Amino acid sequence: MSQPQLQRLIKMINQIALNMSANGDPKMVGYQVAQHLEKFWSPPMKNLITEQPIDAQMALSPIAQIAIGDLRRMQLAKRV
Amino acid sequence: MVEFYQPQADFGTPMSVGKQLVTLSIDGVSVTVPEGTSVMRAAAESGIKVPRLCATDQLASFGSCRVCLVEIQGRRGFPASCTTTVEAGMQVQTQSDAIGKLRRNVMELYISDHPLDCLTCPTNGDCELQDTAGEVGLRSVRYGFDGDNHLDAEKDQSNPYFTFDPSKCIVCSRCVRACEEVQGTFALTIDGRGFESKVSASQDDAFMDSECVSCGACVNVCPTATLTEKSIIDAGKPEHAVTTTCAYCGVGCSFKAEMKGNQVVRMTPYKDGKANEGHACVKGRFAFGYATHKDRITTPMIRDSIDDAWREVSWDEAVNYTAERFKAIQAKYGRTSIGAISSSRCTNEEVYLVQKMVRAGFGNNNIDTCARVCHSPTGFGLKTTLGESAGTQTFASVAEADVVIVMGANPTEAHPVFASRLKRRLRQGAKLIVIDPRKIELVSSPHITADFHLPVRPGTNVPTLNALAHVIVNEGLEAHSYIEQRCDVEEFERWLTFIGNPRHAPENTEEITGVPAADLRAAARLYASGGNGAIFYGLGVTEHSQGSTAVMAIANLAMLTGNVGREGVGVNPLRGQNNVQGSCDMGSFPHELPGYRHISDTTTRQLFEGEWNVTLDSEPGLRIPNMFDAALDGDFKGLYCQGEDIAQSDPNTQHVEAALRALECLVVQDIFLNETAKFAHVFLPGASFLEKDGTFTNAERRISRVRKAIPPLSGKADWQATMALANALGCPMNYSHPSEIMDEIARLTPTFRGVSYAKLEQLGSIQWPCNDLTPEGTPIMHIDQFVRGKGFFAMTEYVATTERANRKFPLLLTTGRILSQYNVGAQTRRTDNNQWHAEDLLEIHPHDAEERGISHDDWVGVNSRVGDTVLRANVTERVKPGVVYTTFHHPVSGANVITTDNSDWATNCPEYKVTAVQISKVTKPSNWQARQQSFDRQQRGLLERARQ
Repeated sequence: MSQPQLQRLIKMINQIALNMSANGDPKMVGYQVAQHLEKFWSPPMKNLITEQPIDAQMALSPIAQIAIGDLRRMQLAKRV
Repeated sequence: MVEFYQPQADFGTPMSVGKQLVTLSIDGVSVTVPEGTSVMRAAAESGIKVPRLCATDQLASFGSCRVCLVEIQGRRGFPASCTTTVEAGMQVQTQSDAIGKLRRNVMELYISDHPLDCLTCPTNGDCELQDTAGEVGLRSVRYGFDGDNHLDAEKDQSNPYFTFDPSKCIVCSRCVRACEEVQGTFALTIDGRGFESKVSASQDDAFMDSECVSCGACVNVCPTATLTEKSIIDAGKPEHAVTTTCAYCGVGCSFKAEMKGNQVVRMTPYKDGKANEGHACVKGRFAFGYATHKDRITTPMIRDSIDDAWREVSWDEAVNYTAERFKAIQAKYGRTSIGAISSSRCTNEEVYLVQKMVRAGFGNNNIDTCARVCHSPTGFGLKTTLGESAGTQTFASVAEADVVIVMGANPTEAHPVFASRLKRRLRQGAKLIVIDPRKIELVSSPHITADFHLPVRPGTNVPTLNALAHVIVNEGLEAHSYIEQRCDVEEFERWLTFIGNPRHAPENTEEITGVPAADLRAAARLYASGGNGAIFYGLGVTEHSQGSTAVMAIANLAMLTGNVGREGVGVNPLRGQNNVQGSCDMGSFPHELPGYRHISDTTTRQLFEGEWNVTLDSEPGLRIPNMFDAALDGDFKGLYCQGEDIAQSDPNTQHVEAALRALECLVVQDIFLNETAKFAHVFLPGASFLEKDGTFTNAERRISRVRKAIPPLSGKADWQATMALANALGCPMNYSHPSEIMDEIARLTPTFRGVSYAKLEQLGSIQWPCNDLTPEGTPIMHIDQFVRGKGFFAMTEYVATTERANRKFPLLLTTGRILSQYNVGAQTRRTDNNQWHAEDLLEIHPHDAEERGISHDDWVGVNSRVGDTVLRANVTERVKPGVVYTTFHHPVSGANVITTDNSDWATNCPEYKVTAVQISKVTKPSNWQARQQSFDRQQRGLLERARQ
């Protein structure tokens, strides 16, 4: 998958995080966002977002960053 | 079994809803009927027909024709049986010498001013006047025909579908009353007095120039040949009929397709159809000619490249060619490099087969449906809050609503038959709140004025809904005991803290939403305390970056006020296409199997794996926009698109076209060479709804039969084509009839467990869930408890869309539909409906137009951040300053060239309803339009070469 695709996924995950932000504290919301991605995103989309090292240039919101960490753990757990 | 044509039974007056039973005697026969029943109807129900002319069970009794006179023991004179209600012990005589003489005298007067051309009359053999003359034994007319009469009155042929011949009119007022009582348009009236009385459209205009909306209700009830379908004039009386379901909007009207051999000569709304109860609109009633239009493609075609001419081939060759190309793509690019898009215009059985082929044959979950771009937020929002992805009510339930909110929907244009029901209730006194950026017809129409119109700024539904909830909570109007018993109280308390925050107060949201605080407060009070509150919403709610949030906010409002789970209330999505509900139910989303069960659920997956004898992928597949992105990235190479025109209907056309061009194999199955098919390598001819058996599920969850009226023009119904392709791919399917597909659906889907074709024959239609607990279906959902258990109050924080107006793009464009056209217009553009809407127009407020030097009918450029197009301006106050509006029914309009790929956060449903644009006066089409026209010419040329 390409850089534009990654940018689109970052836009989507930030949008999801922002819309769920009122659900509770960032940690909890981050987990909910990860669950949402796990439930609705296809594996290539999940892989693309979790295989990237998170850096400032990605412009991920704090909740989105938590979500990606949680999603990464969910994926690892599935592989075990 | 052939159903020979006969007019639908007519009991003369409407059925009474009285609870007490009354027994009387009619012609010596003891009859028991509900109180309030007319003598005429009581007689009809016991098999005794009283002659009549002005009475029909579609309309309230009128008592003008004086033909239905009877004798009642103990009463003086001869009362009209249509206006006389039954009483216990009543002794009625419908026949006697005196009655016979009176009826003949009355008929004699009617016939003295009626042309005696029965043998050449288009309704010969299907005319109530003719029948009644026979019933009363009229043999001569003593008055002669030389006196003043109306026999030379001019015929009005202006309407493309029916004629009005006043020389045959008996001024019974049925048409006028149908326009008022059934349709609610009030376009017709009786002009003049006495001998001068005549039916008049609007101010004595031609029908086409009047306010008439061509619903056909007047034609339906006319007892003579005065109002007659042109198709009947041309073809004559039908000889058999097939009961089926309309393939236009999500109301799902039931029709009799009236036939002569394999030709449909008339579509008559079926009185026993529970969604429409004998009513129809201009599309379903008249716009069926597309099914045999010369543009139909009935032979499969293939080509290697979209620059090649098409080659007509056999079904076998087309199917094998497709299977080989799909297999080759998967071998080269991987299992997930192909996918499919199913259609809400196809039957449940067809949609089910497409998703089965993808999951079991393609070996992935890359299946999505056009509901992605319309009601996917409804699925998400209602499942989250109430527990089921569907509306809660029957349409008929609106008759018990006291306060109705219509939000982001325009029922008189997009769901006209439901709109007529709604208008009837509003005329009875129910209150109406319209939440819409535009002044839709319901805001102010004959005998209806909305109590409140909240002209919300596009993109601000959520703060508007939050403000309504805030007022209700703030003023203590919530339904405490309902919430305590029915909802998750802990979540409610959290939500209460959220919604109680002053930022949601209407005085603070006014600047964002444009809705005056006082109006919003008053509307909130009305909804919360006005009795049964029902909410009907449409794509103006879902097609936003916060579509899912808005749906949840609507559910919150309904739960907050205790308005879910009984007659007259509820949350009701008005579905755009005929089978949106069904296509979603059938597992068309990439993450869900039929019945809205997640693909990751092992138990559910194993159930399907056992039935289909395959191993299923447990991960969600690609959604439509993800397919486009993946195609542009080179990861997605093959697409099977059944019955959808994504090149016209999906947002950011240039992005979609680039994605389609990037595919190595695009297979389109459709009845016409639609915009998407111009990018295709394989064209599989589709079958119209008249050519196949199956079922549609309407917005009320009502499953209704679609019955084959004519053989498929291409030789295969769509389910047969999908089956052939699946078999060629090595995914065995062997159904001999769609009923077997439905049996499989029922075996695998708990909410459909009790559905079968046999039961549909018996009950007419079934609203799911239908299973052991509810063997005859479920008209109202969530009666004692929500499907999810306790109702969930979701947090609905407002997040402004990133699509904002600025100096460069100062106006907000929103899109919608018009009555005479349907969706991308593929069907309706190929009918005479084009006479009402031959092109898409841009509505612009006079202030905005004047500022730009734009006059009515000027060509204007519409520029957005992603593209530009040119439309003709319609300067109108229907839109408010700062907002412009258009429809998307004509490909050349390029409405979606300007809409962006912004989408709902939860479902990726496109944000069609908010696009920042600039408008300017121009003199020529846009570059995209010029390219589109050139590409269209090229592709039509390539098609012509195939046909030669």
